[in-house]
Amino acid sequence: MNRSRVAAPAWGLLKIGITVLIVFPFIFILLLSFRSMTDIFRNPLGLTGNWVPENFERAWNGPPGGTGFANYFFNSIIVVIVAVVVSAVVGAVAAYFVSLLPARWRARVLMIPLIATIIPTLALLIPFFQVFNAWGLINNPVALGVLYAGLSLPMTMLILHAFFVDFPHELREAAAIDGLGHLATFSRIVVPLSQPSLLAVSLLNLIWVWGETQIAIVLMQKAASQTIPVGVLTFQSAFRSELGPIFAGLSLATLPLMAIYFVFNKTISRGVSMGGTFR
Amino acid sequence: MTSRAASGNAGLRVPTRVVLLAAFPALLLLGAVFAFPIVQTLQLSFSDWRGFGPMEWTGLDNYVDVLNNKAFFEALRNTVVFALAATVGIVASALLLAVAATGGGRFDSIYRTIWFLPAIVPGTAAAVFWSISVQPQSGVINSILGFLGLGSDHAWLGSPDTALWVIVGVAIWTSTAFPFLLLAGAIDRVPPEIYEAARIDGAGGWSQFRYFTLPLIRPVLTMVIALQLIWNFNAFTIVWGMTRGGPAGSTTILPVLLYQEGFKNGDFGSAAAMGVLSSVLLIALGTITLRGSASKAAGE
Repeated sequence: MNRSRVAAPAWGLLKIGITVLIVFPFIFILLLSFRSMTDIFRNPLGLTGNWVPENFERAWNGPPGGTGFANYFFNSIIVVIVAVVVSAVVGAVAAYFVSLLPARWRARVLMIPLIATIIPTLALLIPFFQVFNAWGLINNPVALGVLYAGLSLPMTMLILHAFFVDFPHELREAAAIDGLGHLATFSRIVVPLSQPSLLAVSLLNLIWVWGETQIAIVLMQKAASQTIPVGVLTFQSAFRSELGPIFAGLSLATLPLMAIYFVFNKTISRGVSMGGTFR
Repeated sequence: MTSRAASGNAGLRVPTRVVLLAAFPALLLLGAVFAFPIVQTLQLSFSDWRGFGPMEWTGLDNYVDVLNNKAFFEALRNTVVFALAATVGIVASALLLAVAATGGGRFDSIYRTIWFLPAIVPGTAAAVFWSISVQPQSGVINSILGFLGLGSDHAWLGSPDTALWVIVGVAIWTSTAFPFLLLAGAIDRVPPEIYEAARIDGAGGWSQFRYFTLPLIRPVLTMVIALQLIWNFNAFTIVWGMTRGGPAGSTTILPVLLYQEGFKNGDFGSAAAMGVLSSVLLIALGTITLRGSASKAAGE
């Protein structure tokens, strides 16, 4: 948008203000995770006192007899891998073949994932618990990963479908002339050429799974099975008033995703603008 | 009947059964994760179930209980206040950020990268950080207020008058990033010639935004508002992470009440009835938002 020159300094100040508001929690989490309890209480804004890198060691190992982030990380990684891979594979196959249907049918089939995106979790939560309970899957991160795959499937399908619909049909025709079947065309031609979109969708799913709490808190009840977001809460009650290890834990919960984000931020923002939907 | 894949793929027809076969795992998973639980929640809402054993049909008992429960209506009130306030705050902030980051400025892409950061923080981590930050004395926020001479001993989360509003503020911090990026993308797609024409007609910055940008991004904006309403209605994570619904139930929104009723008190039937009632309300609310805006767009 074009703005008058007079307003430019005001916008500049606003942008700096917004940036400060957004960035300062990250800086404080990191700074406070290196400080001791007494120093934080004496002066939370200052940088005085001892440098306490042991906070990270305690966050990683957890309180004596309890569980720490080493454990939460392990569970989160299992859950993320299962959810992201299952969602991408199942969603890509479905989205591709649906994109080959006539327009009228495509619209009808896509109503299913579209409706699914507006269903609130609170309408689904108790049956998740019942089924996990009945099948002995409570505290099982792999099963949680499969559940997440299903829940992220609508978004995966909608984004990938939007991409596949524009896939150049000449390429598919060429493959057909070369004698490739539908499945071979998909796996050998379409998938390799769709990697940026598959990556974008998978990263969005990763962000969602990494933070999901409402379902995980119900299904992962033992600390040993908990993922990072639920672990953060368990951890907070375990350390109660010891802020150093809690902040170190918050750093550990956030930093891996920040690293991934700074590497892939172009891909992620393209994924957001492609899909528009996200749980 | 054979399906004809004529959607710009002339000459390449995929038999319906191949499509069905390919979509089958997805449909199965969607059925298991969405359709089955909805039916099951409905059934549960007419039953008594305490977390084990068979479900016992009890008719409308749960609904009668819920509708006679003062806590349900308090939670409903909290939920509506929270969802509306958070949605208004988030959408307004997202629009402001989107406009600020689309002026063709030199650092726009850097701002976009940084301003998306809150979206990748796990909700509980943000909740724990902010709840510690607003503690009296030791909290960062109170220290800053103290530094500014405004007093450092406010128990923001300890008072039923302020707790919900603190959470609204945190919701705005955590949830503005996604809609911001979406709206920025929509504004990017507005053809620059439109602004040229507007400027020639003498439209200033605000009129350009009001009469050109806003109508052109309306479809994205409407979707953002509807989805934000739904998610904020269901905002379990930050509320649980910050206050567990307290003090004195002042931040108990429906998802929190449902969690307590079902998973803490073991009354899953009533919890399911709450889930059904709030989902019906929510979906009605979302539909009205979408319809209202669609008819308004059609009327212009």
